[in-house]
Amino acid sequence: MSSVVSQTLPLELLAAGEHGIVVEIDGSPELVVRLEEMGLHSGVQVYMVQTGSPCILEINHQRYSMRFDDSVTVLVDVSQ
Amino acid sequence: MTEKVPSKNLERTVAVIGNPNTGKSTLFTALTGVHSRIGNYPGVTVEKKFGWFEHEGQSIRLVDLPGTYSLSPRTIDEMVSVDVLLGRQPDVGQVDAVVCIVDASNLERNLYVVSQVLDLGLPTVLVLNMWDVALDRGIQIDPVKLGSRLGVPVVPCEAHRRKQIDDVRSAIVRACHSPKTTPPDLFPEAFHEEGRKLQAEFLQFSNQTLPTYLVERLILDVGGQLETELTKPAPEQLITRLKDARERLKAVQFRVPNIEAKLRYGWSRQILNGVMTVPEKRQTTVTDTLDRWLTHKFWGLLVFCLAMFIVFQSISWAAQPLMKFCEFGQKQVGEMVGSLLPFGPFRSLLVDGVIAGVGGILVFLPQICFLFLFIALLEDCGYMARAAFLMDKLMTKVGLSGKSFVPLMSSFACAIPGIMATRTIENRRDRMVTILIAPLMSCSARAPVYWLMVAAFFPSISWAGGWITLHGIMLFVMTFFGAAVAVPIAWLFKKTLFKGETPPFVMELPSYKIPSPRIVLHRVFDRATAFVMRAGTLILATSIVIWSASYFPSDHTEEQKVLAEIRQAESTFATELDQKEQLSREREKFGNGPSGDDQPIAQIDGKISELDERLKPLHDLFDRRNKISEQLLAQSFLGRFGKVIEPVVKPLGWDWRIGVGVLASFPAREVIVATLGTIYSLGGDVDENSQGLQSALQSATWPDGRPVYSIPVAMSIMVFFALCAQCASTLMVIHRETNHWGWAVFTFVYMTALAYIGAWIAYVATGWLMAA
Repeated sequence: MSSVVSQTLPLELLAAGEHGIVVEIDGSPELVVRLEEMGLHSGVQVYMVQTGSPCILEINHQRYSMRFDDSVTVLVDVSQ
Repeated sequence: MTEKVPSKNLERTVAVIGNPNTGKSTLFTALTGVHSRIGNYPGVTVEKKFGWFEHEGQSIRLVDLPGTYSLSPRTIDEMVSVDVLLGRQPDVGQVDAVVCIVDASNLERNLYVVSQVLDLGLPTVLVLNMWDVALDRGIQIDPVKLGSRLGVPVVPCEAHRRKQIDDVRSAIVRACHSPKTTPPDLFPEAFHEEGRKLQAEFLQFSNQTLPTYLVERLILDVGGQLETELTKPAPEQLITRLKDARERLKAVQFRVPNIEAKLRYGWSRQILNGVMTVPEKRQTTVTDTLDRWLTHKFWGLLVFCLAMFIVFQSISWAAQPLMKFCEFGQKQVGEMVGSLLPFGPFRSLLVDGVIAGVGGILVFLPQICFLFLFIALLEDCGYMARAAFLMDKLMTKVGLSGKSFVPLMSSFACAIPGIMATRTIENRRDRMVTILIAPLMSCSARAPVYWLMVAAFFPSISWAGGWITLHGIMLFVMTFFGAAVAVPIAWLFKKTLFKGETPPFVMELPSYKIPSPRIVLHRVFDRATAFVMRAGTLILATSIVIWSASYFPSDHTEEQKVLAEIRQAESTFATELDQKEQLSREREKFGNGPSGDDQPIAQIDGKISELDERLKPLHDLFDRRNKISEQLLAQSFLGRFGKVIEPVVKPLGWDWRIGVGVLASFPAREVIVATLGTIYSLGGDVDENSQGLQSALQSATWPDGRPVYSIPVAMSIMVFFALCAQCASTLMVIHRETNHWGWAVFTFVYMTALAYIGAWIAYVATGWLMAA
């Protein structure tokens, strides 16, 4: 993890219009599984459409509204 | 519950499953047309929807399963789906095949649940719906190649345009006669081994062999519905065994639960590699443009408020003429039936009990249809999810999330589907608070009460060339009153009974689309039928009970004598009555203003009073009838009972009749309108000019001659109904959803207390404001 710290950051820190690739989802197992089932899983490209709380994300043209808090962290790679 | 199943020996059962927002219900309707039946699975409130069709000589029964992202049974909905697919649901029986409907424009994610379905080994048909959307986005899919990789038939389809529906039907029929499929098997042998061990241990404790699928799901789903359900025979031992199994798997790099998503998405990518091509550059879509405005922090909220306002304005505006027409019809039927039958209890039961009662509520059918039409439109075009997004900020203030918004919004139509929709809220505390406040949302059953009170007691003033009316504003205010009260109540519940963190919130925002008229009308039709059914059963029964209680035990011979005299006098004065009706109609064209110096108005008014002079004997007869009827009603069972409870309702400005009406409307709020119809019809407060219940209320008086109804009384009644829990079905659903009678009782008690206090404040405050 530490070797790629410069390129990964929590998803909620993306600016509107930016995108990244999900590298890790951490948090309560139930919640993580739910997110994965809904399409937010490692390796997927996610766009930040609108920042804020809740924000709007987009994966493969599918939009989601999501409010982040301490119970789950999504790390994205923005180097690509 | 018994299901009417066409008695064909060869009928096959096919389950339909898919992600939410893939057009599953559109496909279901397209396949089965009108041949469907909605009910509940026994013991749970999961909607059970069956449909039938016949194709190529094979009759098929389709079972619609709730939209789901996965088959891991974490909620009741998902548990039912799994039980149906495994043939464990006795109502459905063995499933012969599965139809998996997926969004062709978002295939990778949709294949997740497909892979879980394939694990079942049932013959499967994959329907690639929204084929047109995928093409528009430049996505290319080779269905034949995809089918051969998956080992199941793949059918592209555009359900909303009814394209390729017959292809889907043929594929379903063929699948029913196909052998079982071989599951893709994404998991290592070590996992299956643990499954077999656990299966043996369950056999020891519970003496029943669990299906392999369930045991394996049990290992994969940490803290799911299965864990609590299946470990019931010996919770401690079984949970320890389960944890041990997961630990052993972890040692071989099989980490539950994260491994499942990794394996399934890996498989999904592998399948799609070379089958699907997605354009490099993302094209801008209509959804992008619309969302820029509709989810905007300021414009979005403005549009939301405006949309709500227009909805409620147009309901009152568009439904008005239709409602007038219905009222006219009700009056005509009442008069026709009345003139055909001899005076006596039977005639009274039909005219005063059934027609005045049930008819009084049926006249609101146009409004109900319009309300459901708007809700169905907002849902189908994809706006409802945006509204939830906009409301999330507000909802977090009271400790809930945007997820609670959609159930609460549907509660504006009816609390029952609203409370059932709370099942999408995974957090228990949030779900409980949402269930408890959902009945505060102004459901369609309250609307008739508002419409009646507002139309009868508020002047019809309008502004901006008739576009904004006082009636519209009052309806708007009353409709959102309950929701406004729900805010502090939710906050209070969240602070006291259900303390806890606000959970994170994830929700799919479906792409906007033009609502399908067929789907929207279908939903309106379903709801309207349910409303009419309720009027035909529950409300009819209550109307008859109320009628009997207010007709007996008094002696009605004298009343009948007077009524016969009235009928005779009416035929004597037939020409005068006709003239008067014509004149009144002309007078109405000039509005309600005083006659003043206006020549034509003064002329008409003069002619009317002249006629009234000649009609005096008839008027006297009416007065006599009214006095007798009032006495009879006061002596009836209902009247005596009403007098007993009058002191309780008097602080609210109500007379005993309203009090009785409110008590009688315990089973369903809208009964109040029917009850008042019956009481005032029997009570004789309806004079010859009566335009139905509205004017009956306007002319009702206390024994000393003061009118019973005034704006403060109307306000107090409206506030009471806005806050009360007068709906047996809602309480029953609360009991079922919370699995505890205590919560139903709690809801009833807190809402009734709130309603009484609210009504008292409304009565006193409005009276004070009007005096000032």
